[in-house]
Amino acid sequence: MALPLPQGLVPTEVAFLCEMEMVTIVPRQRLESIPLLSGDTPALRPPHRAQMPLWLALLLKKQRRANIVPPAWLHPASLADIIHHETNVDPQAFSPPPPPPTRADGRTGRAKPLQENIRRTREQPKPGEDPRLAPPFLPSCTAESPAGYLPYHWLELAETLLAHAADDVPAASEVRALLRDLQEVRAAKMRGSTASLEGGGGVVVLRGVGAMELAESRAFVLGVVDGVRKLGASAETTRRDEEANGGGGYGGRNAGGGFEDSDDEMDFD
Amino acid sequence: MDIDDILREVDPSSSGLPAETRDLQSLTRVWVAERSTPELLSWPTDGLVERVNGRIASQIERVEALTGDMDPRSNFALIVIQTELERYKFLVRSYLRARLAKVDRHALHYLSTPDLRARLSGTELAYATRHQALLHNHYLASFLGSFGPTLQNLNDTSGNITMIDTPDLENAVFIRLLRDARVQGKGVDADGDVEGRTGDIIILRWSDAKPLVDTETAELV
Repeated sequence: MALPLPQGLVPTEVAFLCEMEMVTIVPRQRLESIPLLSGDTPALRPPHRAQMPLWLALLLKKQRRANIVPPAWLHPASLADIIHHETNVDPQAFSPPPPPPTRADGRTGRAKPLQENIRRTREQPKPGEDPRLAPPFLPSCTAESPAGYLPYHWLELAETLLAHAADDVPAASEVRALLRDLQEVRAAKMRGSTASLEGGGGVVVLRGVGAMELAESRAFVLGVVDGVRKLGASAETTRRDEEANGGGGYGGRNAGGGFEDSDDEMDFD
Repeated sequence: MDIDDILREVDPSSSGLPAETRDLQSLTRVWVAERSTPELLSWPTDGLVERVNGRIASQIERVEALTGDMDPRSNFALIVIQTELERYKFLVRSYLRARLAKVDRHALHYLSTPDLRARLSGTELAYATRHQALLHNHYLASFLGSFGPTLQNLNDTSGNITMIDTPDLENAVFIRLLRDARVQGKGVDADGDVEGRTGDIIILRWSDAKPLVDTETAELV
């Protein structure tokens, strides 16, 4: 009964999460609203666009009831821009994630006029707003999402669209080639980031990394971090004791017992 | 659509989400968090799982009612409803199983103090207690019984060494910042201290990430 999977999401679970991303569709048939557990679906009236979770959009697509409108960042020009940014502008870091939208409900029934949306996505969120929404519930993969930014689930979403709705993606073969390039550039950066893991600095920031990229290298990254920690446990305890004796405030909190425990743990793993 | 809906539509600052959507978001978040942490997290106290289970039960009833009338138009709606139902059930099941795996691994640890016991739901507590009792009885019957009475404990803490296996709280996790915040983390050679921005993905130890996650400054990914 208990789940035999290791700690942390595996790629199949990430793909499952990605299917909750909202995408824009153009219905080809009328369809009444369906009462679902996650709320009612919008009633479909061709040719009005609607926002749907990806899994439902794919179901409609397979039954030829709708076409999927690919997000703006999946356009060849946008992808080429991102690759340019990744290779030339900032060859060290990942390209920045999309700016947080002010209206983050992701389930508005109808598409907003484009101008209004562009204005909105450039605004900073106002204070006092519910900041808790995060992918896959941000509308970062709808037709109105800003071009030039890769959302958190970019790789899975692009692959799924190319696999099941390739005829809806403009210049699909070009997009495929660009995605391959992008993936390689970013995979190299992901591998490069292990150099900073080795240093044992405590906090590593990976701004703009994608969900699938994390899932792919999760076991490796976590293994390196934990391995470095266990190897350096005694050195760390000594350093902390010294800091505590020298009047340092931060070290005292966890110097003692916690690390002995982790040494014991090592024998069983 | 009444006047409130219209107001909500034009006001970008209100989070006018239906309760169902919010529950799906919460459920997804607790599932991801439970899958990513080395230790068991608290059972949601706002009745989230009970609410979701209630909805699943009524949705199953709806499916049964719809299967009765063989209207070709409601046929497709039925497929959609059933697909979603399966996705929802997967989420709940995977969440519960992930918790169960942690309870199984460190049953004695989670039963040891009232604080830790409070993290378990009623059913989980009953399961853990009974499971541990069965296990102890089995050990007693098969080999512990032939030892001296002082050697029969499974939770001996004498001599400063505890027999109870605990989860490693220093394991590394990935978090995403939900707002700008300062992130401090312990490291081997030096302690890290960075100014994080919204949306940053950060690798750090769970013991350092826990306060951020508890205050909803960050979520696990």
